[in-house]
Amino acid sequence: MPAHVLEALGLSRHFGDVVAVDSIDLQVGEGEVVAVLGPNGAGKTTTIEMLLGLRTPTSGTVRVFGGDPTSAAVRGRVGAMLQDTDAPDSLTVAEIVDLVAAYYPYRLATEDVLERASLTGHRRRRVTQLSGGERQRLSFALAIVGDPDLLYLDEPTASLDVGARRAFWRQVQAFAALGKTILFSTHNLEEADLVAERVVIIDHGRIHSDSTPRELKGLLAGRTLELLTDADEAELAALPGVRGVTLLPADPVGPGADAGPADLRRVRLQAADATPPLRTLFAAGRRVEGLVVTEATLEEAFVHLTSPEAPR
Amino acid sequence: MSGERRLSPGATRTRGVPAMLVTQVGSEVTRYRRMPEYFVGVVILPVILFAMFGLPNAGDVLPGGTTVVAMIFVSFACYGVVSQALFSFGAELAAERQKGWLRRLRATPMPMTVYFAGKLAMNLVFTVTIAGAMALLAQLLGDADFGLGRLLRTAAVLLLGTVAFSPMGAAIAYLARPKAVATIVNLVFLPLSFASGFFFPLRQLPQVLQDLAPWLPTYHFGQLARDAMAPAADVEAYGGGSSGGTALHLAVVLGWALVCVAATVWGYRREAARERS
Repeated sequence: MPAHVLEALGLSRHFGDVVAVDSIDLQVGEGEVVAVLGPNGAGKTTTIEMLLGLRTPTSGTVRVFGGDPTSAAVRGRVGAMLQDTDAPDSLTVAEIVDLVAAYYPYRLATEDVLERASLTGHRRRRVTQLSGGERQRLSFALAIVGDPDLLYLDEPTASLDVGARRAFWRQVQAFAALGKTILFSTHNLEEADLVAERVVIIDHGRIHSDSTPRELKGLLAGRTLELLTDADEAELAALPGVRGVTLLPADPVGPGADAGPADLRRVRLQAADATPPLRTLFAAGRRVEGLVVTEATLEEAFVHLTSPEAPR
Repeated sequence: MSGERRLSPGATRTRGVPAMLVTQVGSEVTRYRRMPEYFVGVVILPVILFAMFGLPNAGDVLPGGTTVVAMIFVSFACYGVVSQALFSFGAELAAERQKGWLRRLRATPMPMTVYFAGKLAMNLVFTVTIAGAMALLAQLLGDADFGLGRLLRTAAVLLLGTVAFSPMGAAIAYLARPKAVATIVNLVFLPLSFASGFFFPLRQLPQVLQDLAPWLPTYHFGQLARDAMAPAADVEAYGGGSSGGTALHLAVVLGWALVCVAATVWGYRREAARERS
């Protein structure tokens, strides 16, 4: 069993009466790529700040490479991309990269870092001349220039558009391919699914689940059924295997919906499987039209998992 | 510490703290050189003021042989030193605190002493730039007729003043709200410079300011610099007596520096605790 790169035990953080992080245990092994997923205000940033040694836990311990995260020896092996940190205005991209590189015991070549962050064409630009997305890439460049063994990314794609996000995650994956351990936070499930091999869901400061993206989907493996029916909401909710019922507005362009009789309502059902509820509906003599069955998305699983009435 | 380093194929070893310091100083100098509002206000302005107020006195010589231009050079160089120390360590440090850059640096292995040492070294570089430009003007256009020994001694006092007054800027940066720092620095340094005889000889100031001057650390710094440039008789003839002697001047300047260092350390720790809490 390889040693843990990161080990947090009973990590808690209170702000006055507010419990931001509530007794988190987390172990991350070498080379893992872990997504910390949760809605805004779930405690992701506070957790990362404590793992980085930038914030003192109210209780609990953090060991990184078996050492104190605030020690220079550990910090020399850790890179971080934090929110709300702007680099000095009047330096160029290459100058800032070189400056931060000098702080670390080992460094990657400036060319290499700029290429990894897709900033090669911007090396002579000043920070003030960069767009929001380019600043984010610079922040990534500064996080990796010390060739860290452990990389933290706190909501790294928060200000990026979809295309830029894809490109960014390709860069992260390329860095992970070097055998690096990466822990990132996001509230976007797709990103967690795409990049991470392990997804830790945090909600209200607690770890809600800790699984692979595949297992996470399995937790709520299921089908989404959209249909027109004359059964009412209560009846639909009582169908076998149905977890959720959503009434949809009548869809004028949907197949079979344009001329649908007035007593039919359009509904969306979340169910473990498609067959049992349909069988029951047919057996009860209910009408079913315009049926569409899809695999449940991770997004739906997530909403379900973190909703207040979700089973814990 | 456990676990092997997983170095990337292209990774190279860096050259430790001395190289870190050199890079830090280089990048600070580059940054401030490129900031027009800083470079013009803090580096160019004192030189221009000296050219306006000092050079017209070319040809005037004090009884002991020191030129008036040389004395005015000392005054404006002192003003340059104090304004620079307060602005770079005060206003700019506060701005960097606010932008989160200092927080990001705290997540790196760099010791914060390197950061402060880098800023201080940058101030020393600019002190040499300001004083060097003024001395050159004074010599070429003002017939300052510096004695080399006296000029070097004065330069040493100016560098000492840079080290001694930088903590004052840092203390303001850490004790005041970041947004208020620029205003406070302006409110502090102009009256200080005026009442310490950096703009006009002390004797020409209102009596109340003349009485106030010996209570100001910048006055004692100014006297040290004047004494370095000229014999006592010329200092007296130019602007007013040097009361107390070198030991007192030195004690006040260094004592004030220590007070400001203590205040900065306290403010820095307070902020570090606040950030981590």
